[in-house]
Amino acid sequence: MEHRPVTEIGVSAFVAAICAVFFVQASRLPPGSFEPLGSGPVPKWTAAIVILCCIAVMARGILRLRAAGGLAASAREEFTGGRPGGAVLMLAGSVLYVALLHFKVASFGIVTFVFLTLLIWALEGLRPAVLLPALVTAAVAAFGAEYLFTNVFTVDLPE
Amino acid sequence: MDFASLFGAIGQIFTPWPFFMLFIGTALGIVVGAIPGLTGAMLIALTLPLTFYMEPFNAVVLLVSMYVGAISGGLITATLMRMPGTPASVMTTFDGYPMARSGRPGRALGLGITASFVGGLIAWGVLFTVTKPLSILATKFGPFEYFTLIMMAMVLIASVSEGSLVKGLISGLLGMLVSMPGVDPATGMPRLTFDWYMLNGGLQLLPVLIGTFAVSQIIKDCLDMGKLPDRAEVNNRGVLMSLRDFRRHAVNMIRSSFIGTWIGILPGIGASIGSVVAYTMAKNVSDHPEEFGRGSEEGIIASEAANNATVSGALIPLIAMGIPGSVIDAILIGALTIHSIQPGPTLFLTNGDIVWGMIATALIANILMWILMTSSVRYIANLIYLPRSFVLPVVMMFCVIGSYALNNTMFDVWVMLMFGVIGFLLERAKIPLGPFVIGFVLAPLAEQKLRSGLMMTAGDISPIWTRPFPLAFTIIAILLLVWPIVSDWRRKRRAA
Repeated sequence: MEHRPVTEIGVSAFVAAICAVFFVQASRLPPGSFEPLGSGPVPKWTAAIVILCCIAVMARGILRLRAAGGLAASAREEFTGGRPGGAVLMLAGSVLYVALLHFKVASFGIVTFVFLTLLIWALEGLRPAVLLPALVTAAVAAFGAEYLFTNVFTVDLPE
Repeated sequence: MDFASLFGAIGQIFTPWPFFMLFIGTALGIVVGAIPGLTGAMLIALTLPLTFYMEPFNAVVLLVSMYVGAISGGLITATLMRMPGTPASVMTTFDGYPMARSGRPGRALGLGITASFVGGLIAWGVLFTVTKPLSILATKFGPFEYFTLIMMAMVLIASVSEGSLVKGLISGLLGMLVSMPGVDPATGMPRLTFDWYMLNGGLQLLPVLIGTFAVSQIIKDCLDMGKLPDRAEVNNRGVLMSLRDFRRHAVNMIRSSFIGTWIGILPGIGASIGSVVAYTMAKNVSDHPEEFGRGSEEGIIASEAANNATVSGALIPLIAMGIPGSVIDAILIGALTIHSIQPGPTLFLTNGDIVWGMIATALIANILMWILMTSSVRYIANLIYLPRSFVLPVVMMFCVIGSYALNNTMFDVWVMLMFGVIGFLLERAKIPLGPFVIGFVLAPLAEQKLRSGLMMTAGDISPIWTRPFPLAFTIIAILLLVWPIVSDWRRKRRAA
């Protein structure tokens, strides 16, 4: 699909909102005391330009939305196809994985082993035949990485 | 030309540890470049943490050889699956895949491999001869010259990125904006931290990079999972080009290499644009333009010679001025900074060994790439069919390790995930990610130069139009901004 007006409008609004927050924060910064510019103007005007660009993208998106027959028709076309379940699974699984590491529920190797096994198995549609290869891959990757990074590369891992 | 330094660096590369890095880097680059969904930018970003404890020379050898390998590896997937392994190989799919489907996969790969090699070699020649004089010129640049050069680069990146100029600007400026939270280097006071102490150090390059380029790609790949086409058989027949082939394709190969080199030199424009321009040019001057898109040998050669030439081309502004020639160069700048090496025109003086290491690696990795690919392309080709449901979770694990390793803090891992989602959303809205990362890398330098320039002139901004270089850079930036609007208006007027 060449254009995705619904996504473009949504993402531009999101970016504009972030920039608006930055703009307000940058406006509150005090002026420079020993230099002409100070801390605020560069982020402030950068945010302002991004907001203007986002408004331009949103305006064009609205025009395209009208030409495409409205919000519902466009959204139907934009959000069909692909495997959204796979993407959601990956994202949710990763958030959970990072949270488990953050709260130090178990060692890196064990948390990673569980994360990899479940995610690979789930992405393969929980087929029983895939469980064993998933277990082997997860064990090799998780414990192999733990050994390599801590003993060979001497890089610290989340504990 | 400093042959002594070059040979010194080559000699150092041929010692055991650097050569091991070179071999691993090139081979891994080829493999990752060949696996759909994994990119060179992803590989290099994920490898950065491993280089923390390496000698800077070895780190540079590893990363540059990965860069060379990854751009070349994309050819395999483009030819056998009609899926560019890296974005740089998009044009190769047009002719490589039809040729492979017509029973000549070895020939298609052979042409691509040799064209990649020649493209890399010619561009390396330019890298070797041009970089030092350019860096000497760049030492004469003052703050306003630098500031306007960076602004011009940002506009250039935005204007040639996929999608519209406005979207390119959003991406680049957003990247600049998110680099600004943290302690202001000029005043020492925190800014845009929202009273959150974790932000006092700012957002680090590595988690932002890994999130934007690797995590967003993983999410996207999960969305597209299950789209792998049929398996194509590969053999080594026709992989080596004959002397007759060389004679027949010499002009195309040399022309495309120079196009790729030139486009690589332009700040922020990567291999994708180089191969598009070279392919279009080859088609326009060809005696058989009707064969393009149906398995044309000229098409494969133009695309591959140009995209490999951009690698060395893009290293030129990086080494000479500290301006990234592509997204991967932006990551390389990050790597140098992590090793306390300040990229810029004085790099030849302060870290000559590193510079010559980069230049020598670009040459030797290119030769090694040719040897590895011609000898083992049929084995590498099997790797591209690895199930993504097994590969992507493992890559996500490396993303977590990579982000954590920088400061040993889980905050960076959360930042990585957040930027993964942001990167995914931006891509869904057809907002290119390249300008975002380059903006993130260049913004601190641009702001620092502007502020120090204004301090020198007591707030007078007139040097931007009274000095020749800033004026030239500003005019080019304005033209780049105005040109799409004018051409759009002219197109509409002609249509009416």
